[in-house]
Amino acid sequence: MPLSLTRRALLLSSAALLAMQALPTSARAATSGRITIAADSEPAQLNPAIAASNGTFFIASKVIEPLAEAAYDGTGLRPLLATGWEGSEDGLSVTFHLRDGVRWHDGKPFTSADVAFSALQVWKPMQNIGRTLLANLTAVDTPDAKTAIFRFSKPTPLQLIEKALPVVSSVLPKHVYEGTDIARNPANSALIGTGPFVWGDYKPGQYYLLKRNPSYWQPDLPRAEELVFTVLPDRASAASALEAGDVQLAAFSAVPLVDLARIGAVPGLAVITKGYEALTYQLIVEINHRNEPLANLKVRQAIAHAIDKKFVRDTIFLGHATEATGPVPTNDPTFYTSDVTPHAFDIEKAKALLDEAGYPVGADGKRFALKLLPAPYFTETRQFGDYLRQALAAVGIEATIVAQDAPGHLKAVYTDHDFDLAVAPPVFRADPAISTTNLVRSGLPAGVNFSNQGGYSNAELDKLIDTALTTLDPAKRVELYHRFQQLVTQDLPLINVVDWTFTSVAATQLSGLATNPRWAVSNWAELALA
Amino acid sequence: MSTSAFHRPEARIGAALLAALGLLALLAPVLSPGDPLAISGLPLVLPFTEALHPLGTDRLGRDLMAGLIHGARISMTVGLLVALVALTAGMLVGTLAGLIGGWTEAILMRIVEAFQIVPGFLLALAFVSVTGPRLSTVVVAIALGAWTGPARLARARVLVLRESDFVAAARVLGHHPLEIALRQVLPLALPPVLSLTAIIVAGAILTEAALSFLGLGNPNAVTWGAMIAEGRNQLRSAAWLSVLPGLALLLTVVAIYLLGEAVADSLGARDRR
Repeated sequence: MPLSLTRRALLLSSAALLAMQALPTSARAATSGRITIAADSEPAQLNPAIAASNGTFFIASKVIEPLAEAAYDGTGLRPLLATGWEGSEDGLSVTFHLRDGVRWHDGKPFTSADVAFSALQVWKPMQNIGRTLLANLTAVDTPDAKTAIFRFSKPTPLQLIEKALPVVSSVLPKHVYEGTDIARNPANSALIGTGPFVWGDYKPGQYYLLKRNPSYWQPDLPRAEELVFTVLPDRASAASALEAGDVQLAAFSAVPLVDLARIGAVPGLAVITKGYEALTYQLIVEINHRNEPLANLKVRQAIAHAIDKKFVRDTIFLGHATEATGPVPTNDPTFYTSDVTPHAFDIEKAKALLDEAGYPVGADGKRFALKLLPAPYFTETRQFGDYLRQALAAVGIEATIVAQDAPGHLKAVYTDHDFDLAVAPPVFRADPAISTTNLVRSGLPAGVNFSNQGGYSNAELDKLIDTALTTLDPAKRVELYHRFQQLVTQDLPLINVVDWTFTSVAATQLSGLATNPRWAVSNWAELALA
Repeated sequence: MSTSAFHRPEARIGAALLAALGLLALLAPVLSPGDPLAISGLPLVLPFTEALHPLGTDRLGRDLMAGLIHGARISMTVGLLVALVALTAGMLVGTLAGLIGGWTEAILMRIVEAFQIVPGFLLALAFVSVTGPRLSTVVVAIALGAWTGPARLARARVLVLRESDFVAAARVLGHHPLEIALRQVLPLALPPVLSLTAIIVAGAILTEAALSFLGLGNPNAVTWGAMIAEGRNQLRSAAWLSVLPGLALLLTVVAIYLLGEAVADSLGARDRR
């Protein structure tokens, strides 16, 4: 056939050629589904079974899954690696039924041996939360590959175990860790799990890359191809990166609160406040009871009355917080009670209490001097430190701020006890027994971070905490923790100021966001780029 | 000091600015009584909208004007104290090295060089992060990087003067070496070294601001660097919080440089005459 080249044919063919060139790129854009996320820190320990902290979960929870995840509906829990569980009558054992057909990223099957290994070799001896929570765990029986029975030496409430599952139960592969130095295993950085994403790459100071797990146990998930966590340590740069389209998601309030109103109005971006309900942070004032004035209840009450919680909520947190009434946040669905001793903002009352306590105003207008250590982790904790100094000055207490970096602050407060007042942001983890009671219980050794290192000791409170830890009836536990809140607000071993959660800023083409109350630290299987 | 320095217009501008800033710093407790960190109004009041807060307020409602005035005090204090410490230490080491010579000189000058090759800001950063941020430690930290210039200059001058005829004459007359050093050499070695003051003060003010910006300033006092750092988070929505202290910093340093340069030039002119 002779080749006849007309002008029309030439035009047509060149158009087709152009289309062919254009097709691959547009097709790639539609299916590639790479989502770039702003990461504000690089956790020192990336293994979530060892470091049960939000910084670690933010990246690692996409690769390594827990037995169950928090949920908005029903019992508040959604089964992941476990399909169901039940506790025994005597509270001495909990039986977990495990999911069938789950495989590790290296192809080996997931079995009850992995759960037993993780619980006994990692969670109980090594994990920050498991160390206390699972202290009474003596054995994990594995009658078959899909059943794990946890045995406790003392009655352990199922309610507590359930509330702790999302945080404590990240399962590690036994065949990778057995017989090795677990703390130094290379899989602690190149993670191996059962989750929707497999480990890709990590370039320090640049990014973490996670790739889609094609054989994930939930069919058709995950919906994204790749997750790239770009390290943006400067909080001011996250907003610009979102606006430039370099980043599609900034979680954990990576965009400063002051910028939220502006960024929310940018077309193509949305501010999302859901997805952090079970990650409530508490702004507290830690008190060193070894200090003579602070050992006096009236002085502690005066300080509580000197703090304007409304100002802290509206000015420092720009409304993204709620005023705290006690050691359990108001948004907790199970344990919260409002029947506690309130400490309303009242400068005159604070002054009167200080006079009564025997600390009159001196010739220089001051009653006594204190050393104040604001935790450096958040802009808000530092700003509250600045505020607290002024609030104390208003009632005649002179506070000197000591600013340190994070390691220096931790050492000064929790090891050396070199403080009078400290500002701390502990996390409330769904059950007071997980990490909240530690803030007031006596007898914890020096060096345990985020625990009572102020030398406070109250036998009644200690007894109550211990009783609640072995009380099996959920209703009775709730009652005990109501009493706990009353005792803490009466005696003020510490002062709760506000509770706050975080916000995300996301590109509007993202879907599957904020699907559970721990969303930012959950597995993101449903997250997709539309 | 020669009056010729003030014939130059830039010197007059510098002197006027500096005098105004100095006055502001001196009169801070009168101009803006009370604690400049006090929360005195609503947060984020715009500048030039309220008589009570002429330059507005920051995120917590602290008056920006009070912050600037009291910040000037800190900046000036740090600048002058650093100059004092650095010049004294530098003169001492330089004069000793120049006069004694030999091994002492070699060792002293090697120490000077050791300090000189480490960037001054890095030294300050390391020192403050170890000792903790207080006025005294900040001054010492910045002086650590600033005393080497005066030391080298002093030594160079002393080396020249040591060989001059009047020193030889004094030696022949049997004057004690210390007397020669203090009465003959030092007064003549001093002026060129003093002309470094402006550079040291300006550099110290900038370094102090940088340290505060990084959170290594005294958190119980207002500093311009800390004000800029705090405003940085709101740069897009409340730019004045960073811009105003930034301008104050700029003006101060420019004023010091203008004056310093004119003084140094006129000193040079006198020497040439």
